[in-house]
Amino acid sequence: MVDQLPNRGREAEMLQEMGLQSMEDLFSDIPENVRFKGELPLPPPQSEEEILSDARRLLGSNTAMGSRPSFLGAGLYRNYVPASVFQLVTRGEFLTAYTPYQPEVSQGMLQAMWEFQTLVSELVGMPIANLSLYDGSTAAAEALTCAVRVHNRKASQPDTVYVSALTPPDKLSVMQNYCQGAEINIRFLAHNDDGTLDLEALKAAAGSCGVYLEQPNPLGVLDEGLTAVKEIIGSNTALIVGVQPVSLGVVEAPGHYGADIVVGEGQPLGSPVTGGGPLYGIFACTKPYLRLMPGRIVGRSIDVDGKEAYCLTLSTREQHIRRHRATSNICTNETLIALMGAMHMALLGPDGLRDLANRNMMACQKAKEVLAKTPGVRVVHDAHHFNEFAIEVQGSATECLAYLDNNGIIGGLDLGRWYEDTTNQILVTATDQTTLREIEALSAQLAMWSSHSGVNA
Amino acid sequence: MSHLFNHNGAENTGYSQPAPLSSDAMPAVPKGLVRKAAARWPRLSEPEMVRHYTWLSKRNFGIDTGFYPLGSCTMKHNPRVNEVIAQLPGIADIHPHQPEHHLQGLLSIFYEMQHMLEVCAGMDQVTLQPVAGAQGEFTAVRCIQEYFRLRGEEQRTKVIVPDSAHGTNPASAAMSGFEIVEIPSLEDGRMDLEALAAVADETTAAMMITNPNTLGLFEADIKAASEIVHQAGGQMYYDGANFNAILGITSPGLMGFDAVHFNLHKTFSQPHGGGGPGSGPIGVKSHLAPFLPGPLAARRDPTPGELAVAVDEHWYHWEQPEHSIGKVQQWHGNAGAVIRCWAYYRRYGSGLKTMSEHAVLNANYLRHAIHREAKKAGVDHLFVDGAETDVAKHEFTLSMQPAKEALGVSAMDVAKGLLDRGYMAPTVYFPLVVPECMMIEPTETESKDTLDTFAEHFAQVLRTEPEALHEAPITTPVRRVDEVYAARNLCLRHPYDDA
Repeated sequence: MVDQLPNRGREAEMLQEMGLQSMEDLFSDIPENVRFKGELPLPPPQSEEEILSDARRLLGSNTAMGSRPSFLGAGLYRNYVPASVFQLVTRGEFLTAYTPYQPEVSQGMLQAMWEFQTLVSELVGMPIANLSLYDGSTAAAEALTCAVRVHNRKASQPDTVYVSALTPPDKLSVMQNYCQGAEINIRFLAHNDDGTLDLEALKAAAGSCGVYLEQPNPLGVLDEGLTAVKEIIGSNTALIVGVQPVSLGVVEAPGHYGADIVVGEGQPLGSPVTGGGPLYGIFACTKPYLRLMPGRIVGRSIDVDGKEAYCLTLSTREQHIRRHRATSNICTNETLIALMGAMHMALLGPDGLRDLANRNMMACQKAKEVLAKTPGVRVVHDAHHFNEFAIEVQGSATECLAYLDNNGIIGGLDLGRWYEDTTNQILVTATDQTTLREIEALSAQLAMWSSHSGVNA
Repeated sequence: MSHLFNHNGAENTGYSQPAPLSSDAMPAVPKGLVRKAAARWPRLSEPEMVRHYTWLSKRNFGIDTGFYPLGSCTMKHNPRVNEVIAQLPGIADIHPHQPEHHLQGLLSIFYEMQHMLEVCAGMDQVTLQPVAGAQGEFTAVRCIQEYFRLRGEEQRTKVIVPDSAHGTNPASAAMSGFEIVEIPSLEDGRMDLEALAAVADETTAAMMITNPNTLGLFEADIKAASEIVHQAGGQMYYDGANFNAILGITSPGLMGFDAVHFNLHKTFSQPHGGGGPGSGPIGVKSHLAPFLPGPLAARRDPTPGELAVAVDEHWYHWEQPEHSIGKVQQWHGNAGAVIRCWAYYRRYGSGLKTMSEHAVLNANYLRHAIHREAKKAGVDHLFVDGAETDVAKHEFTLSMQPAKEALGVSAMDVAKGLLDRGYMAPTVYFPLVVPECMMIEPTETESKDTLDTFAEHFAQVLRTEPEALHEAPITTPVRRVDEVYAARNLCLRHPYDDA
């Protein structure tokens, strides 16, 4: 505590100069009837060493995914973030800065975010990207409300958006919270048995304000059908595509098949999984959405000498100016994590991204190949996958995952967690960090599980 | 200038990757989905990348660079051990959907943080899920909305905010679908109880207010305000942006509030990171607790089998509130930020009051020193206090209106003059109720010497020729940036050659 307070021991001197007697005088304006009595009932202060030691003990008791074969992804992906990213991002000039309200002394972060906007814009094939929202789920939710703001007037289905029925319920819940205030109805889009979007059913979404789909979809399926969506829903309905950004090293950018807004969880580029946050949400769009989009955006400008300079722009959309008429309430965003993303992207370059995407594809392919041959396991969708795929196991998925856990393997996501009637499916994720040995270990244990559960394929 | 997009070495990639796993069949992207043209990203080697971002960092000002008296933002020192802790694999490499027995350490820290915030705020239940202050506001307002829905009081469609409120308050309430009723402040910047009583009625869902208010004044009538709103059947919402002023001295619970958000990136030293990440937990009284987003960290006695994995005498687990509004972030919030703030809180523990005392001591001392130095320099007629008060809390406001009238020098001019002297500028033009406002918050982590020197420089800036001040800053990486040009000539990405 003392090491954080430079004026410990100088209180009397400072008070005296102000003509005050005691610290108590500084709080003379706080009425007795709202005062705390006594000390806060909390443990005593600790030193840095004690805190670090407790942190090591408590966090050390968590099971890090890297400590064992792990196939859990489902929206967050184990990756490798290059050492230079961590070294640079903890530079105090970045780490301890506020939002760049004074551009003259914030050119570093402003330019870095303008570069981030460019990197994202190129990645997803859209002309405009903001400098981050909180995460993939809030980016998707804000995209829906943005689509309604833009399209509601001309929509034949006003206040209505359609989202993939596969959308994970936790993400859907965020969407519902963000949409309920504007009284937006969320309807669902069905998928075919092979995991692809039902394009026939999609026709019902034409004339609504927006359609939200993911590529790859939540079950890892790469769906070529999405390239036909824009034509079906028409120009007055926003096509919103959620992406896993690494996949765009090999998969076509949604901006090149008609997307109006592209969102996504930025985490795989630049950030460890970190227990689910902080992450960063990607938000990119075409021009008609620009003035009604959420979040901060940096523009290139000039200073009074005509020198290149950067500043926040289009702020009149934002809460500190527009107050209750703002396009979003977002103020603090995820700038520093976006900066990590930018650094990672800069290091990768276009070839590095392609290689990284291929490593993810290969790991997924290998896992699928091995598990397809594993007794008692069935790969659910005969499709092209990125990162992950659903498998069917013998008996209950929950029990199977517990069995795998007992044998030192994090087997994946119990899809019963997402889809009510699903009891025997697991979403298995492989990333660039997955090794052949780990895949073989999973296969061997799944084979054991199949024989244990008494049924052998 | 160093430009990322000028790097285009043919072979360079910044880091070499291991070979992919080999597979019998090459994986394929469906034909119609193959990416045709790669992203036009730069190509640079690691040394070039490191130098580029180091160059950028040198063009940026942080707390580590110098004094950062940005009002309302609580720019306190960020202890470095917190960064070390946040990179441990037990937080960096864990997935929120891992089973509870994999996450006992995380859950116990979450539980401890919930408890600590409950104690400090006088609330019954805290959730750590909201990832920023504004999201905390939104979450709490949503809980209040569902609370009234369940009670059949759907006619409560209005949220009252003072005209001095942070912009996020009305924005968050409007996002939930509420109508905003703004009430004017009194001449002295304090809340107008009569104006409040005039608008509080059966259509009131909540009042949102911060205390100390945005002028840095403690609203002594806060209990009376709570009573007015409660009498009308509404809920009291505490904007915790200014929480740094009152820890261990008073609490929103004692003041009669029903819900509160915390800005962990302000009060509990999560680094601001140039605009985030933050963390915006909320605390509520028991009647609102069933509506919180889930899951919450809870604990019980362990079974004999669990004892082997337990981190202490409890078993920690996730719990879903009964009438939960659902989720506001897909996972458990910004867990990494929560861990840093836990490490920060542990430094103070029961002594958090000392932190607030020093924050208030420093703010009052700086206010005193600025007046003292201005008087010495003969420039004390160029500004007045933004609000009359004997003591301020963690921040205070000055109005540069007299300088504007006498010399044509604006708050912005003074701000830019301070940049030339190596300081971050205070918050300017907020709150709107103070003309030519400068809002100054030194925080507890600045020394008396820093405050004295800043006060001297402040007076010197006011002695600067107005013409020279209009030209400021001149020592910064760029000079005054043309924001109108930026808005009129939108250039939101590198133009390549196709612009």
